[in-house]
Amino acid sequence: MTESAMAVVKPEMKSYIWLQTADGSIQQVEEEVAMFCPMICREILQTGMGSSKNYAISLPQRVNPAILGLILDYCRFHQVPGRSNKERKTFDEKFIRMDTKKLCELTSAADSLQLKPLVDLTSRALARIIEGKTPEEIRETFHLPDDLTEEEKLEPLRNITDDPRIRLLNRLYARKRKELREREKLKNVEIEERVDDRSVDDLLSFINGGDGDSKAVKANKNKKKNRRRKDQQKDSSSTNENGNHDKIEELDALPSCCQNNEFDKISGASPSRTVKSQDSAVSIYSSKNEFDDADMYDDLDPAMKEELDREVEDFARRLNSDWPERVQEILSLGQERKLVTVLNGNGSSTRFTKQVLIGGSSLPIRVRR
Amino acid sequence: MGDILGVDHLSDLPQSIIECILTRLPIRDAIRTSVLSRRWRYKWNTLTQLVFDDDCVAMSNDGIYEDLIYFITHVLFLHEGPIHKFHLSATYLQNTPDLDQWMLFLSRKGIRELIIELGDGEWFRVHSCLFNCSKLTLLELYRCELDPPPTFKGFLCLKSLKLHQVLIAPEDIESLIANCPLLETLALSYFDSLVLNICAPNLKYLYLEGEFRDICLKNTPLLVAISVALYMNDDTEPFGDNSDCNFEKFFGGVPYLEKLTGHVYFTKYLSIGNSARTLPVSHIYLRSIELHQVSFEDMNEILVVLRLITSSPNLEELHVSGSSNPVAASEAPDLDFWENECPSNCTFGKLKVVKTTDMSGVPHEMEFIKYLLRNCPVLETMSIRPCVYVTDRRLNMLIELLKFRRASPQAEILFIQE
Repeated sequence: MTESAMAVVKPEMKSYIWLQTADGSIQQVEEEVAMFCPMICREILQTGMGSSKNYAISLPQRVNPAILGLILDYCRFHQVPGRSNKERKTFDEKFIRMDTKKLCELTSAADSLQLKPLVDLTSRALARIIEGKTPEEIRETFHLPDDLTEEEKLEPLRNITDDPRIRLLNRLYARKRKELREREKLKNVEIEERVDDRSVDDLLSFINGGDGDSKAVKANKNKKKNRRRKDQQKDSSSTNENGNHDKIEELDALPSCCQNNEFDKISGASPSRTVKSQDSAVSIYSSKNEFDDADMYDDLDPAMKEELDREVEDFARRLNSDWPERVQEILSLGQERKLVTVLNGNGSSTRFTKQVLIGGSSLPIRVRR
Repeated sequence: MGDILGVDHLSDLPQSIIECILTRLPIRDAIRTSVLSRRWRYKWNTLTQLVFDDDCVAMSNDGIYEDLIYFITHVLFLHEGPIHKFHLSATYLQNTPDLDQWMLFLSRKGIRELIIELGDGEWFRVHSCLFNCSKLTLLELYRCELDPPPTFKGFLCLKSLKLHQVLIAPEDIESLIANCPLLETLALSYFDSLVLNICAPNLKYLYLEGEFRDICLKNTPLLVAISVALYMNDDTEPFGDNSDCNFEKFFGGVPYLEKLTGHVYFTKYLSIGNSARTLPVSHIYLRSIELHQVSFEDMNEILVVLRLITSSPNLEELHVSGSSNPVAASEAPDLDFWENECPSNCTFGKLKVVKTTDMSGVPHEMEFIKYLLRNCPVLETMSIRPCVYVTDRRLNMLIELLKFRRASPQAEILFIQE
């Protein structure tokens, strides 16, 4: 069927062309409107299709019915020859106002139908949307995935636009990476240190029968505070030191035998030997525990710090007071007791176990060295 | 906008459309799309049109041209595929050795349209690889030196040649024009003391501006539009020492001429050797004539104008601007020419619009307007704009204008003052 044949058959009636979209729906459209599309025009002229419903021209896949409607609107307006350029331009400006999703679909469909003026129009509109926006804004508008890594993002830019801002960004990124690396290193070191502590704490709480970490920690701190105090006292006067050492040693020895004679023995014992050993012990003590002391003490909150301070003072006072009276006191109290053991985490360093008796109790206190 | 999930439709468009979109963006924005997403990383680098100008790189206080050089070099390095259009128009860029390397690179990329305009100042010498660009269709150069090698056979595809302030030997320019068989547009600006013979069988549009001593349109049968601005040096003897009629030399071989524009001394040039004979060939397609700086004191120039308009039966638009010295022309000789010798039975059957500007009100100008009014039966608009320096004669001009007979009943006479 040729065009002229169609014209002869129905000269007065408007002739329609039948179009079928990819989803199967069929539309009919005035001939002159459809002929505005080069692809449809060619189909009609070459194959003669489109004259009836059964022979509808199948349109490319990218054209869905809604978009086809838009395209036909466009064709319907522009195929009228008598319009002025201004009119066409005004129509185009209004026509192009739609969301970006429709715009993209329209561009794609117009391209598949080879409708170049519409492709130009939509491309221009898309370019106008893209122009002047930052990459983030463009990604948001068009729902583009942000799947480039930071280095990849910087690569082409670093090569192409030597913007001072890009250079600054590079520097900031480099600095940030460096910081992260350092922080990683520190974290590893800290973890090692804390591992020791934590295991100690765990053991303490285990030994204390789940008395609560705070108590164990407190006791720990107490012990450490003691050691520090001890050091200070050690420094102040030798006699005091000795005395203290003796006393502490005695105190250590005290739990093993709850007998006065022991005390006497200890108090009366020649200080030199014991002091020496204690000295060495204490020195090892101090050197180790200063470190621990500082660490753990700083982590405490102020209230706890105060409490500890008080306890240490109390303890020091007690240490400095007359020993026998002290023992009396202790024995008379007999309610509270605090067990503090510090076990050696790893085999290399030796730590002292110390049990602090705050209140008397019937439970034996063990000393391990 | 309504899409909660936000499907990416843009990236799925065919590459031809993406390039269509990217071409419409300034090159900086087009290249920035490379950071949008993985799929967009290299969508820009097959663009075939690269347009660089001052806005490409951010303004920096120092070394702005270095930034641009860096930018262009790296764009070219990262580019893939052919480059069809390279347009560089940077007023801050001075001559740089990188330009030669870009030219070499482009000549290997099948360049078709090349436009290079650098800043004022040092002129650059075009690298000889330009003459290896066999696919060139458009060449536009500003302020440079062209030196075609002796073996150069011409640009066989060149359609448009525009040279503005270009140093090139006269025989080279003539052979260049002659060896571009497809040449349709030719524009030469600021060529000094050149005797130009143009032999271009396909030439349609001709623009000349400069101190040409002689222009000879030897073989330009298809010319459609001519625009000539002839400047003259005071000391050089103007235009053609031979007794050839310039008018015939110029208009003899352009039967399809549709539009003519002349500036400065063009009419004077045409008046050399002019005779009162009418041309054997009339320009039936000539629809628009614009002649600027016509000196109405010189009878010869007036004759040229008359000859032109009388040999153009289908003339629709005429624009004449004068450049007379009102004081000197107060005593006008040959005023009786208009009554006696002027072809009075000549009607301009299609002339609708006449514009006269820079009118000083000298007698010959008024006679010319009177002549036109009398012989244009379909005239619609006659606009007269007096010269800004002439203030006292305007009333006289108006009084005279009112007296003139009009052949066209619907003619509007517009006297335009600022």
